[in-house]
Amino acid sequence: MTAEAPTDVRVPDGAPTPGAPRTRGSGAVGRSTPPTGGGRVVALLTGYVPRRLGQALIVLWIAFTAAFVLLQALPGDAIMIRFENPELGLSPEQIADIRASYGVDDPVLIQYLHTFAGFVRGDFGYSVQSGTPVQQLIAEAFPQTLVLAAAGFVLAVLLAFAIAFLSASASFAWIRTALRSVPSLFVSVPVFWLGIVLIQSFSFRLGWVAVINPGPVEGLILPVLTLAVPIAAPIAQILTRSIDEVYTQPFVRVVQAKGASPSWVLWRNVLKNATLPTLTMAGILFGELIGGAVVTETVFGRSGIGRITEQAVAHQDTPVLQAVVLLAATAFVLINLAVDLIYPKLDPRLARQVGASR
Amino acid sequence: MSRTHRGWQGAAAFGATLALVLTACGSNGGDSSGNGEPSGDPVTGGTLVYLEHQPHDTLYPPAAGFYPNGGLVNNITDRLVYQNPETLEFEPWIATDWEVNEDATQYTFDLRSDVTFSDGSALDAEVVAANFDLYGLGDPDRALTVSEAVNNYASSEVVDADTVVFNFSAPAPGFLQATSTINSGLVSASTLEGAFEDFGPGNGQNVIGSGPFVITAEEIGTSVTLGAREDYAWAPASRENQGRAYVDEVQVTVTPEDSVRVGALTSGQADVIRYVEAQDEAQVAGAGLEIYAPQTRGVNNSLSLRFTNPILSDIRVRQALIAGIDRQEVVDTIYTENYPLATSSLSSTALGYENLEDYYAFDPERAADLLDEAGWTLGADGIREKDGQSLTLVVNEAAPQPRSFEALTLISQQLAEIGVDLQILRADAGTYTEAIQDAGQVQIYHSMVGRADLDVIKSQYYSTNRNTLLNRDPATDTIADPELEALLEAVASEADGDTRIANSQAVQTYLAENAYVIPLFEEPQVFGSQTDVAGFSFESVGRPSFYEVWLDR
Repeated sequence: MTAEAPTDVRVPDGAPTPGAPRTRGSGAVGRSTPPTGGGRVVALLTGYVPRRLGQALIVLWIAFTAAFVLLQALPGDAIMIRFENPELGLSPEQIADIRASYGVDDPVLIQYLHTFAGFVRGDFGYSVQSGTPVQQLIAEAFPQTLVLAAAGFVLAVLLAFAIAFLSASASFAWIRTALRSVPSLFVSVPVFWLGIVLIQSFSFRLGWVAVINPGPVEGLILPVLTLAVPIAAPIAQILTRSIDEVYTQPFVRVVQAKGASPSWVLWRNVLKNATLPTLTMAGILFGELIGGAVVTETVFGRSGIGRITEQAVAHQDTPVLQAVVLLAATAFVLINLAVDLIYPKLDPRLARQVGASR
Repeated sequence: MSRTHRGWQGAAAFGATLALVLTACGSNGGDSSGNGEPSGDPVTGGTLVYLEHQPHDTLYPPAAGFYPNGGLVNNITDRLVYQNPETLEFEPWIATDWEVNEDATQYTFDLRSDVTFSDGSALDAEVVAANFDLYGLGDPDRALTVSEAVNNYASSEVVDADTVVFNFSAPAPGFLQATSTINSGLVSASTLEGAFEDFGPGNGQNVIGSGPFVITAEEIGTSVTLGAREDYAWAPASRENQGRAYVDEVQVTVTPEDSVRVGALTSGQADVIRYVEAQDEAQVAGAGLEIYAPQTRGVNNSLSLRFTNPILSDIRVRQALIAGIDRQEVVDTIYTENYPLATSSLSSTALGYENLEDYYAFDPERAADLLDEAGWTLGADGIREKDGQSLTLVVNEAAPQPRSFEALTLISQQLAEIGVDLQILRADAGTYTEAIQDAGQVQIYHSMVGRADLDVIKSQYYSTNRNTLLNRDPATDTIADPELEALLEAVASEADGDTRIANSQAVQTYLAENAYVIPLFEEPQVFGSQTDVAGFSFESVGRPSFYEVWLDR
């Protein structure tokens, strides 16, 4: 009971709804009275977090199984693609020998159990295309993608907030309309095209940053920009819309009537409420980061999970795809967990429900 | 302005010596290595930045046919014999001398005794024997395949430290050339113990050869660093450089995006790039940079007509397809002058080539007549039909070949003029691999293969090699045209050189007479380079050699 409260209360449109009596409560205005802090932590550790972890494991198992079934259902298999390729000029007997040595024609259930046991042991097998251990592929690529994704995400959030602030603050009313149209412009920019345009102008024409064999920081500048822009856009859209909505709430007028300055209202009251839906959106957008990484890494020739995925999909490299799916599922599970844990921090009403039901 | 190097494009003279005459200015080693641009003595030092189109997927030499693999294997390994890319003659390299018995079933090689692998171990008869035991027999348990170039291999014998004998179960006249290809790159004993996995990306530093470069660093899927071997001193005698490579390092960076590769070259961030697409050549040339287009000298980029399919089993339909395609327009529209129009199933720069262009003339009226004759009449939608079946054929998009989709789209438009509906198959790898093995799904197969030996034609069409015509039905294992089989076997099993040439020409003529193949163009590998990169050369089918490269800056 207790543990599920935060999930249940998560309303996509998390801004206070008109008429909800709690809206005028102290929490929304920012003078929150923290719920019994220590008790809540205990509740989280004893009930909530372990249960969420259990759920996460089930989600991962389902993702693994679904990926396995789908990859099996695809026509052909990685061994066929790799070795029946006419370019190798192998005879049918030679191919049959190799198929036997890989065990690809074993019953599907045996293969599933074998692969699953491997994953549980932390052995992801070998890439069929190149023979490289999947662990090694992931271990080399993941940090690169993580840095790219994290930097891209931070920049996207900064950009989104900058756009939202500027368009919300009265002193910039004259560029308000212009700025409001920026998010929809960004949303419609294809990552691929943006990457190429950035490379062509900043690297090839102006020569400010190298694209070929750049330094570690230099190599991040353009890819991070490319990744951040399309993600910043939807975040900014949601944020501006939420800010607008929250401004129409009665409690804002109460605060204003009490004499709060516009910046106080924005920072302490409006923004706090407007951030909730944005946070949900940001969690979902993390998926975009993975998709964006495929394109960005290919255009910029960076190594990373995106490149691995692209190569593995092209060659139907099952062991690699299986690991990538699991990695992506893990990332989603973690992000969702983080989002759910942050909610009560931003909106004490959610936290109090945890406490109240105890 | 830039010059365009069209390596080896030109007339090939065939005599007893098979000498190929180089008409255009050569871009490869030997005495032409300076080839006109930077002059003076080679300078040692510096790093060459080389952009690859795709990451390599293995360094196992028999699988080095994939260009990113071959580009590395060619520089980190040596071969027994050197095939001079200008003359296509065989010269001593690791083997100082060799002997072939009467019927080409036994080869004896004398080896240099001063060659070492980069791990310090000696390159002796023992390890050479072990190399070919693996390449000739394969090892399915380790997923290590037989080399396509080595046929009929039986066994090896180590006579002494610098003499090795290879025995074959049937004549293997192509073996000497096979020892010169990248597929026979010699690796150390420790490397030979590895499985397929051990040759994979991420393990490059453990793939030990005796070549002028060693892999010193690697980032999977992104870059490979080649470092010059200081003590390298066993280059083939005809190469100008006899010591270590001139550059200290070659930085091979994978840049999949075409526009980024070309932009990096024109903006000076890269020294050499592989795979300049035909439409980008003008941009490279316009920037005053060099274009190299070495030929691949094998079976031309062509369409194999799978005559086991009921529609294509009628020779008149096949002849109509040949007459209905304006190949000159395809070459002029989609490609550049570096892609010469094909005049036979083999390239004019290939061994054994015979000019058969009369068979491949464009004649849409004749095409229409042939189809009428065969009973295919024009339907209301402009597509011909017969007994309620429409004349629809499927061709595969050959992703590794340059601009395959664009060329096929134009061909499809041309064939629509004579009432043939040509569909292009673009699919995921699994669907694709299954479809191309089935004449019911893919009736026309787009492909090519490069190798500077007469065996190449067998590689392309023989039942247990690439089998592009599906003469052997993969489902039933039956051979549809035994005569073609016999002709191909004759190419690869005749010991006498002149007879082999005649046999290869017999295959080409047979393919032309039976309208089995529509050759499109002679496929080059196109590279772009800065003007101050000197000594850039290629092995006999267009893999880059960095050995004599030096930077004039």
